[in-house]
Amino acid sequence: MTPTKRNEILTLKSLGFLLLLFGAATMGGCASLGVQPWQRDVLAREDMRLDADPLDAAIDDHLYFSKEASSGGRSFAGGGCGCN
Amino acid sequence: MQLKPGARRPKAANARRQLMAASCALLGAAGARGQQSGTAPADSGLLEDWSVDSALAYYHENGRIRAIEPVVDVSKVFADGQALNLNATFDSLSGSSPNGALTSHTAQTFSSPSGKASHSYITAPGQLPVDPHYQDERIAVGANWTLPVTRVDQLSVGAKLSDEHDFFSVTVNASIAHDFNEKNTTLSFGISNEYDSLSPIGGAPVPGSDYALLEKTGGKTKDGVGALLGVTQVMTRIWLTEFNISVDRFKGYLNDPYKITSIIDSAGNTTGYEFESRPDQRTRKSAYWENRVGWSEQFSTALSLRYMSDDWGIRSDTAQLHVRWSLSDRHRYIEPTLRWYRQTAADFYTPFILSTQQPATGYESADSRLGAFHALTYGLKYAQKLPGLGSRPESEFSVRAEYYQQTFDERMAVPAGLSGLDLYPGLKAVLVQVGWRF
Amino acid sequence: MAASAGNAPDEALEVEARGEHLLAVRFTAMASPCEVLLSSTDRSAALAMGTLAAREAQRIEKKFSRYRDDSVTAWIHENRGARIEVDEETASLIDFASRCFELSDGLFDITSGVLRRAWKFDGSDRVPEPDSIRSLLPLLGFDKLEWRSPHLMLPSGMELDFGGIGKEYAVDRAYDLLASARAAPFLINFGGDLRANRPPPHGPWQVGIERPDADREATMILDLEHGALATSGDSRRYLLKDGVRYGHILDPRTGWPVPDAPRSVTVAASSCTEAGLLSTLALLQGARGREFLEEQGVRFWLLS
Repeated sequence: MTPTKRNEILTLKSLGFLLLLFGAATMGGCASLGVQPWQRDVLAREDMRLDADPLDAAIDDHLYFSKEASSGGRSFAGGGCGCN
Repeated sequence: MQLKPGARRPKAANARRQLMAASCALLGAAGARGQQSGTAPADSGLLEDWSVDSALAYYHENGRIRAIEPVVDVSKVFADGQALNLNATFDSLSGSSPNGALTSHTAQTFSSPSGKASHSYITAPGQLPVDPHYQDERIAVGANWTLPVTRVDQLSVGAKLSDEHDFFSVTVNASIAHDFNEKNTTLSFGISNEYDSLSPIGGAPVPGSDYALLEKTGGKTKDGVGALLGVTQVMTRIWLTEFNISVDRFKGYLNDPYKITSIIDSAGNTTGYEFESRPDQRTRKSAYWENRVGWSEQFSTALSLRYMSDDWGIRSDTAQLHVRWSLSDRHRYIEPTLRWYRQTAADFYTPFILSTQQPATGYESADSRLGAFHALTYGLKYAQKLPGLGSRPESEFSVRAEYYQQTFDERMAVPAGLSGLDLYPGLKAVLVQVGWRF
Repeated sequence: MAASAGNAPDEALEVEARGEHLLAVRFTAMASPCEVLLSSTDRSAALAMGTLAAREAQRIEKKFSRYRDDSVTAWIHENRGARIEVDEETASLIDFASRCFELSDGLFDITSGVLRRAWKFDGSDRVPEPDSIRSLLPLLGFDKLEWRSPHLMLPSGMELDFGGIGKEYAVDRAYDLLASARAAPFLINFGGDLRANRPPPHGPWQVGIERPDADREATMILDLEHGALATSGDSRRYLLKDGVRYGHILDPRTGWPVPDAPRSVTVAASSCTEAGLLSTLALLQGARGREFLEEQGVRFWLLS
C-alpha cells in the first residue's frame, strides 16, 4: 500500500507562492524605495552582502543536497555531484 | 538689452591633447618639487589583488558516514570591473550508507554493487541495512567570469566540473543583471545546463528489476536545464531583500543505482528486493526570499524562506535564520543559526512493497530522501579578524559547528510482524568547519 | 616658496568608518567639504593620508586665496605696475593659465575677476548697466599682463584669480602625495572635484553627482574606477530681469553672461586639473558645450 495522503495545504502553498510572486513584482516596480548613494554605509558592510560567507553556503548546500529532495533557490538548483 | 554674440569655436580636438600636455607640465613640475617629501611606495606584491577564501569541513553522520571536505576559492577584481573567480573542492566520504531496504526481524544478506563476493555484507536482525563499504572521493573545480557590459548591466558566465568514481558532471551557466533605480533595484536572469554521466560500479541496474537477478546495463546519463529570475531591492538604509523564482528540469536516468526496495509479505517477512524505479523526468519550481537587516553596529540578521514543489509530488518549505552578533569594534563575531526544513513524500515513495500489490504508477523508491520528514539544523559560528598577509589589510579566521537532525513524519501502516522495529530511524549529523579568508 | 611640510591641518581630524573596508577623513578647505576615502581597515593609515591631504589643500588655499592678505594673490595685487618675481609653484600655475587662455581663444581667463565689481548674482533683477561693463573691459584680458616666467607685471586695476583652477590643482597635488605614500585604493573628494587611484576590491567607487534642479533623477550615480571627475555648474547664482535669466558664467571677452550655458557639466579625465578645465570650458561654450566635449573625446555628463 503506497502512501497517498494528500496535504490539504497544497492549495494554500500555491497561493502563498503567487503572493510572494506578486510581492516581488510590485517591489521591483517601486521607484521610490531605496536610498541615496551616500546612505549606503550599512549596506556596504560585509555581513549585509547577499553572498556573505559563500563557502559556508556552498558546504551547507552540498550537505542539504545530499540529504534532502530540494536544492537551490538562492542560485541554480543542480547539484553537480553524485550524492543524490 | 542686446547680448553680445556667442563664443567662437576653439581649435578642435587638438585642444585636448595640448590641454593634457599643459596639465601634465603643471603637475609634473609640482611633483618634481615635492619629491623629497614623498615616502617610498608601498610594496604591492602579487597576492594583493587576489582574495582567497578557504575552509575545511568535517562531517559525521549517525556515527556511520564520515566526510572531509577542503574547499578553496580565489577571486580577483580587475581595474575595468571584470572579475574572475576560481574554486576547487575535494570531498572524501567513507562509512556505511543505507541501501533502502527495510529493517527486518531476520538477518539479511546483500551483495555489494561491485558483485565481488568479498564485499557482500550481512545486516543483523533489527538493524537498518547499510552498505559498510561505501567510499568515494570527489574532486570538483569551478570558474566564474563577471563582466560589466554597460554601467548598469553585468554579465556572468561560469562552468563547473565534478568527478568521482562513478559519477562525472559538467555544468555551465550564464546570467545577466541589470541595475536601475540608482542601483537600488537589480533584476537578474540566468540559465544553467548540467550534464551528468553515471558509471555505477557493476553497471546501472534496470529500474524495478529483481535485485537477485542483477540485471545491469552500462553507463547512464542525465541532463538538466534550469532558469532563474531574481530581483534584489534596497528597502531602507538597513534592509536589503532578494526574491528569486527558479525552475529546473532533469531528464534521463534519475535513479540511485545502489538503492533497493524490500518486498515483504503480509507477515512482514522480506521475500525479496527490487531496484528502485524513478520517472525519467523531474521538473521543480521554487521561490526564494531572503532579507538582510543591519539592526545596529552589533547586530544583523539574515532570514530566508524557500518553497519548492516538483512533479514527483514533493513539496518543501525551508526557513533559515542567521543572527550575527559583532564584538570588539567588529573584530570578532558570533553567529548562531537555525534552519527548519520540511518536505512531503514523493508520490512513488514507499518504504516497502507488499508482495501482493504493485505500486500504481510502476515507480517506487524507498530512498529516505524522497520521504516525508522534517529537519532542524542548529549552528554556531565564531570568527575573528587577524593581521593580514603582506600589504593586505586583514584576514579572518572562523570556526563553526552545526547539528542536523532529520525526523520522519509519515509512518505507513506496517504488517503486525514488523511491530517493535524502528523502521524510520531518521538521521543525526554533525558538521564542524574551520575557515580562513585573506 | 617651497611646499611646507610642517604645518598641522586647521582642525583635528577624525577617522570615520563608512563601510566594512572603507574609512573616511573629512575636513574643510577652499570653502568646500573635503574628504579622503580609503579602502582599508587601517585607521592609522587613513588618518595619515587624511592629514597629508588636508595639509596640502589648506596650504594651497592659504597661498592663493583672494580673501587673505597674506596670500601670494594679495602680494601680487599689492605690487601692481611693478615687475615681480613669483615662486616656482605660482609660476607653473600662471604658465598653465596662459596655455589655457591660448587654447580656449581667450574664454578661460584668470584676469576675469574684475567683473565681480559689476555683477552681483543675488537672484535679484539688478543687471548692471552696459556702461559699467564697458568700463571694466580694459582691465580684462590675460594678454594685457606681462608674463615671462618667473617675472610678472600686472597692470594697475587688474586682478588675478586662481579660483578657477585652485581646487582641481589641490586635488591633483594631494593625489600625488597620497599615491606615493600608499598603494591601497583611495579617493580624494574636494567639494565634488575628485580623483581616485584604483577601485576598491568589491567594485568601483560610486559617486553621486547632484543635479541643479530637483528632478525625477535628482542625483546621478557614476562608477569611477580611477582617474578624476570635476563638475562645473550654473546652479543657484543668477539674475532674473524681464524674463531673461543671466547665469553667472561670464564671457571674459565681452563681460556678459554666456548665453545658454549648460546647467551642470561633469567631466572625467586622467587628472582633476584637466577635467576641471574641460568642464569650465564646456560651460563657457554655452549652447556649444556638448559639441565641444564631444570633439574632445572625453567622458562627460551634461545637463542643459
